[in-house]
Amino acid sequence: MKKLKITIQGMHCASCAANIEKAVSKIKGVKSVSVSIMTNKGFVEAEDNLNPEEIKKTVDKIGYKVIIVTENKLISVPK
Amino acid sequence: MILSKTTPEEKDIRNWKIKLILAWLFTIPVAVLMFVEKFSLFMIEEKIMTIILLILSFPVMFIIGFSTIRSGLKGFTSLYFNMDSLIMLGTVIAYLTGIFSLFFVIQDYSGISSMIMAFFITGKFVEAKAKGRATQEIRKLLELGAKKARILKIHEEIEIPIEDLKLGDIMIVKPGEKIPTDGVVVKGASSVDESMVTGESIPVEKNINSNVIGATINQDGILYIKATKVGKDTFLAHIIELLEETQSTKIPIQKLADKITNIFVPTILIISALSFVLWLYLSKDLSKAIGISVAVLVIACPCALGLATPTAIMVGTGIGAKKGILIRKGEAIQTMKKVKIIVFDKTGTITKGHPEVKEIYSLVKENHLFELIGSLEKLSEHPLSKAIVKKADLKKYLDVKDFKIYRGKGVYGKIRNKEILIGNMKFMQEKNILLKNHGKKIKEFEEKAYTTLIVSESKKIIGIIGIADAIKEDSIHAIRILNKLGFKTIMLTGDNALTAKAIAEKVGIKHYIANTLPEEKQNKIKELQRFGMVAFVGDGINDAPALKQANVGIAMGTGTDIAIEAGDLVIVNGSLIGVVKAIKLSKATFKKIKQNLFWAFIYNILMIPLAIAGFIHPVLAEIAMALSSITVVTNANLLRRERI
Repeated sequence: MKKLKITIQGMHCASCAANIEKAVSKIKGVKSVSVSIMTNKGFVEAEDNLNPEEIKKTVDKIGYKVIIVTENKLISVPK
Repeated sequence: MILSKTTPEEKDIRNWKIKLILAWLFTIPVAVLMFVEKFSLFMIEEKIMTIILLILSFPVMFIIGFSTIRSGLKGFTSLYFNMDSLIMLGTVIAYLTGIFSLFFVIQDYSGISSMIMAFFITGKFVEAKAKGRATQEIRKLLELGAKKARILKIHEEIEIPIEDLKLGDIMIVKPGEKIPTDGVVVKGASSVDESMVTGESIPVEKNINSNVIGATINQDGILYIKATKVGKDTFLAHIIELLEETQSTKIPIQKLADKITNIFVPTILIISALSFVLWLYLSKDLSKAIGISVAVLVIACPCALGLATPTAIMVGTGIGAKKGILIRKGEAIQTMKKVKIIVFDKTGTITKGHPEVKEIYSLVKENHLFELIGSLEKLSEHPLSKAIVKKADLKKYLDVKDFKIYRGKGVYGKIRNKEILIGNMKFMQEKNILLKNHGKKIKEFEEKAYTTLIVSESKKIIGIIGIADAIKEDSIHAIRILNKLGFKTIMLTGDNALTAKAIAEKVGIKHYIANTLPEEKQNKIKELQRFGMVAFVGDGINDAPALKQANVGIAMGTGTDIAIEAGDLVIVNGSLIGVVKAIKLSKATFKKIKQNLFWAFIYNILMIPLAIAGFIHPVLAEIAMALSSITVVTNANLLRRERI
């Protein structure tokens, strides 16, 4: 498992955040996704072999842009 | 890293501001013309009027409002509808009625299209400003880091950009300057203002070997500091990272609102279409049906629902960070409300965690006893061992063979071929060492709230050591407040019942659980959870399992030593008053979330039916919509007024 932080451009309302969550969660290998309209950031938990490009493409398709992706190995196991 | 002068938030606000001015430049004449027409102040031929309105509205809709129209359209082509889809559809329909009215008999709503767009843009501008306020604390944290560092390079001071700073570099920090990054003092002494990261306003004394935090301010002496952490590993970078994550993750109460937000726009599209059909059927008035369906489109506001929780969490976490309270898991805000029991670890939480030997009762020559205990405890890292080593203060240590640590009990080793044991009463009993007539002395020590250790040589007791750990200055005050707030406070300690009782009484804790081995803490929490939600306060390093087990884990830190990963909430400066503040802040933030969600729900539940019923003019509908999201963000900002 790994955790990706994505910075998103072009969100302007809460339904945008919801749309990105919905679209990204449908990508194979994505375990969870949470996007915030306040920080313009999203956190994605995914299988190790997920290609970040996949997320970029998906977000792009529905009208937004991922500008930065940072990856972290998941250290802590959530409660 | 490129440092731009304007933040994305500021850019956003400026963008909306320009749009706002331009939009009203065209929309005010539209409004005046419509007013004139309505009250027939002077007559303009109807078709010419429509053409003027269409011309004036065009730039507002399709140039100034271009991004909104485009993003709304994208919603239709990708079937991922958003807020803009509603505004786009509503305004475009209104604009089209103007064109149609040139050829058919239909009411001209074209002027209304630009008015809706102008109010929409105005709402966005105010919302962007309020959002900017909501994120101000976090932005300040981001700006807190130093940009440059002065380092020592072969007897020469040079100034370098912070990005070029490497581990092990010796930084020179003069009075009034910012400490560039986390490090340890190698030369000099000073006091340092750490308030920006710990919330503690009193400057902290720093000497050789003291840890310092990057971005704090050196007060009065010159400090030479060896950089121990740089870039994204620094304390400040960790805090920012952690807050960003908290602010981007969901809490349970949000679930319903999120579910609704998910299906909101498509649902409204359907409701609007149905209202159109219904009104057309009932009134046979196409213009009226169009007006109502437009009002329904623009009044519906998923934003208020979607912003209700994140804005409050944003402001709450920001206020917390300023006060040295890090909310690591947003969920803790919600859980905190139900917590009835607060369990405190004793050492390092209620007490300072630096135990000192207070009294030694020696049955042999003191020198001999000191030599044995100092040499044996030298091999252990336990805080109690360190206290003993410090007290013994030996110049030379004796050879120890077969050294063994019994966790939570004591230590064993052979010195000069004699078996030496140091440990608590339980340990002595297990090792069949007779306490004989020393019971009274032991009891006396325990009643003084000493952690009491017994020393034996070849199965014979040779000394009793009384160790005490000073209580933190504000522990008593904090516990009193928590008791008053109605929490059941419990102290967890490895000490035996007598010592535990004495300390508990000193700090005013009602209940205590004594004789707890470190590995048992988690189970004790589990047992207590049968009686209700439990918060556990402990240090993040040794108590990680117990912190995880508790419904809310509150980790205590001191400066950079924080184990951030462990707790749901982190008290940076390790003060129990911080725990009181964290509880108050959690509750206040959760209250704001509930208020916001309530208003957002009520707004949509009341306004949508009113629009369907035809009571609300499309322009009024747009104003109401803009106000609803502004209200939510502004209400979240009001969290700052709470006394935490």
